[in-house]
Amino acid sequence: MNVVIEHLSKRFGEKPVLRDVGFTFESGKIYGLLGRNGAGKTTLFNCLNRDINADGGSFYLEEGGVRRAVQAGDIGYVLSTPAVPEFLTGREFLKFFLDINPPQEPKSIDGYFDDMRIAPDDRDKLLKDYSHGMKNKMQMLVNIIAEPNILLLDEPLTSLDVVVAEEMKQLLRTLKNGRITIFSTHLLDLALDLCDEIVLLNHGVLEQVDKSNLDSREFKEKILAALQEDSHE
Amino acid sequence: MNKTLRISFALRNTYRVNSILYALKQIPLVKRLLPDTLYQVRGLKVFANVLSVLWEIISAFLGKLVYLAVMVFGAGMLYTTAPREQVFLHLLVLLTILGAFVNTFMFNPSKDKYYAMILMRMDAKDYTLVNYGYAILKVLAGFLPFCILLGTAAGVPLWICLLIPFFVAGLKMTVAAFSLWDYEKHGTIRNENGLDRLVWAAVAILLALAYGLPAFGIVLPVPVCVGFMALCILSGAASVRRILAFGRYRELYQQVLAGSVNQMDAAKQRSLEASQKFISADAGITSRKKGFEYLNDLFIKRHKKILWKASQSVAIVCVVLIIAVLTAFQFLPEFKEKTNELLMVFLPYFVFIMYAINRGTGFTRALFMNCDHSLLTYPFYKQPKMVLKLFGIRLREIIKINLLPAAVIGAGLALLLWASGGTDNPVNYAVLFISIICMSIFFSVHYLMIYYLLQPYNAATEMKNATYQIVLTATYLVCFYMMRLRMPTLVFGLLTIIFCVLYCVVACILVYRLAPKTFRLRN
Repeated sequence: MNVVIEHLSKRFGEKPVLRDVGFTFESGKIYGLLGRNGAGKTTLFNCLNRDINADGGSFYLEEGGVRRAVQAGDIGYVLSTPAVPEFLTGREFLKFFLDINPPQEPKSIDGYFDDMRIAPDDRDKLLKDYSHGMKNKMQMLVNIIAEPNILLLDEPLTSLDVVVAEEMKQLLRTLKNGRITIFSTHLLDLALDLCDEIVLLNHGVLEQVDKSNLDSREFKEKILAALQEDSHE
Repeated sequence: MNKTLRISFALRNTYRVNSILYALKQIPLVKRLLPDTLYQVRGLKVFANVLSVLWEIISAFLGKLVYLAVMVFGAGMLYTTAPREQVFLHLLVLLTILGAFVNTFMFNPSKDKYYAMILMRMDAKDYTLVNYGYAILKVLAGFLPFCILLGTAAGVPLWICLLIPFFVAGLKMTVAAFSLWDYEKHGTIRNENGLDRLVWAAVAILLALAYGLPAFGIVLPVPVCVGFMALCILSGAASVRRILAFGRYRELYQQVLAGSVNQMDAAKQRSLEASQKFISADAGITSRKKGFEYLNDLFIKRHKKILWKASQSVAIVCVVLIIAVLTAFQFLPEFKEKTNELLMVFLPYFVFIMYAINRGTGFTRALFMNCDHSLLTYPFYKQPKMVLKLFGIRLREIIKINLLPAAVIGAGLALLLWASGGTDNPVNYAVLFISIICMSIFFSVHYLMIYYLLQPYNAATEMKNATYQIVLTATYLVCFYMMRLRMPTLVFGLLTIIFCVLYCVVACILVYRLAPKTFRLRN
């Protein structure tokens, strides 16, 4: 399964953010999406998630040579600031989510909480009283349960403490099979550590950085050079 | 000094100009005409600058005119218990004392102060003295003409009128100097946006004294007023020295502004927290339903306080009013006749009443703040069939909530019509009841529809849609206009019923067609 993006463009007023984005993402890989501030990473995600309409171009899923449009259910989107319905408890949110999205192999609600290492005491608390990290876990959890073909992660680890961040990284690695994971971040080291491929979003265009024959220092320098070079255009 | 004055004006003007341009950019249609680079366009800047200067002049005078004309002169005319000039001075003196504490200028943690002294690191003392001096001059200039105009009109001798502006300024400076002294001695910091209970109590007492005493014919004697005014002018003059000599403005403002800076950063946070306060923490709340019904059930139960309580209170008040009117019928036959007449032509008035008691905006706001703003970030929640399913459930709930007071009012009106002597045409009873119910349903549908079609908030829960505001304002204006309409109840009622039914049908069709596209977070 691939996600193919062709000639995607988006401008805000007179300012083009995405110029001519074309790329093929393959399933089973974690893609690190790097770009400078304001490069349009979130805009790209919002276009894929259809939160905003692109001005031109298209994207679709390709499986065994058959193309089909990307449906809302294909996408899981984890935002950097976690959004959870504050008036529900963790358990209620999960129950509601499972009612709407019954999984293929159902588990008990506590089973899911155990997987995410959310303590029993916290499961019946209102989500408004959850800490940032716990909200993040809840958001990640429901996105995982939905088993989306495409998992978009917008700076998801930036504000987590080291322990939770490490847990999340492990989790993402175990989840990558059978889906496309696109992970946007500012942190080069995190991208190198977690991701299978590095993709740069620069001047409205996506390009993959080839790692062949480079050690990690050289690879890093190559990425930095690519990002800097373009800024002088 | 001169430079400080120039810079602080330029600074304040710049952000006022930008605010004006920003506001222009929010108006539908106009925003299409404006370029994205509008903050660079010279012509627009000049235009906004003119508005800004006009605003500076108007605010210096208009505020004072309104204050004196309404709170002092106008209110004074209501009392016949004491001579007018005495009431005028009585109100003026007491309100000025109140104002000197509540509106100090110096301790108002405003944005321009934060930008200038903290962000731009301007010299705090220079900046404060220049701007405070300017504010005091504005007080003098703004009060002088209207004190003469309205004061002499109330019969106050001219020489006292001339003293008033200096009295107001003097008292303000005295309070400011005292507060500065208090800070030096005890480290106490005034912040007029964070008044404590004691000050609020004092405000209430002063207001009661100002407006209560004259009703009993008690007013401050003129010599006392004049003496106090003279005293304040003298102490004000003496205070100038302390204000000029005070050397710790920088550290003072650091603390005054510290709280408000956090407020600015956390403004969004606070609006979210404020709405999250309404979520009931009652652990006993559960639901046996499934899926969206489950979500809705818990939402309604946890928001009972702002949804059902308000509507129940309105219903209770209406029952009490109806009983009161029914009782009055027993004793005042004239009142009975009059009511009967009114009921036959007064139905349009109830459009406004139904508008006023409708919980629609509160409901949709709570929906967004505590539910949709987060769930709309999940793709499954935006699937068309999910959006429409939840719309149906919510429509049912909001209609239910509003129907309770509507049923009470509708039945009450029919009852009053019967008890006040009845009508030749029994259809009137039914029309009264059904049209009130229809109005209630209409408003419920209306608010939920515009929420689904114009979803006005962005992910940070800021209102981003001017069209939504305009629709709300238009709704208000139409309802307000209805109060002035007089039409036979039968005709108006039937028209209302037809209109409401048609509107609801059209609204639902629109939502089912468009909402899957429009119901999403704004960017």
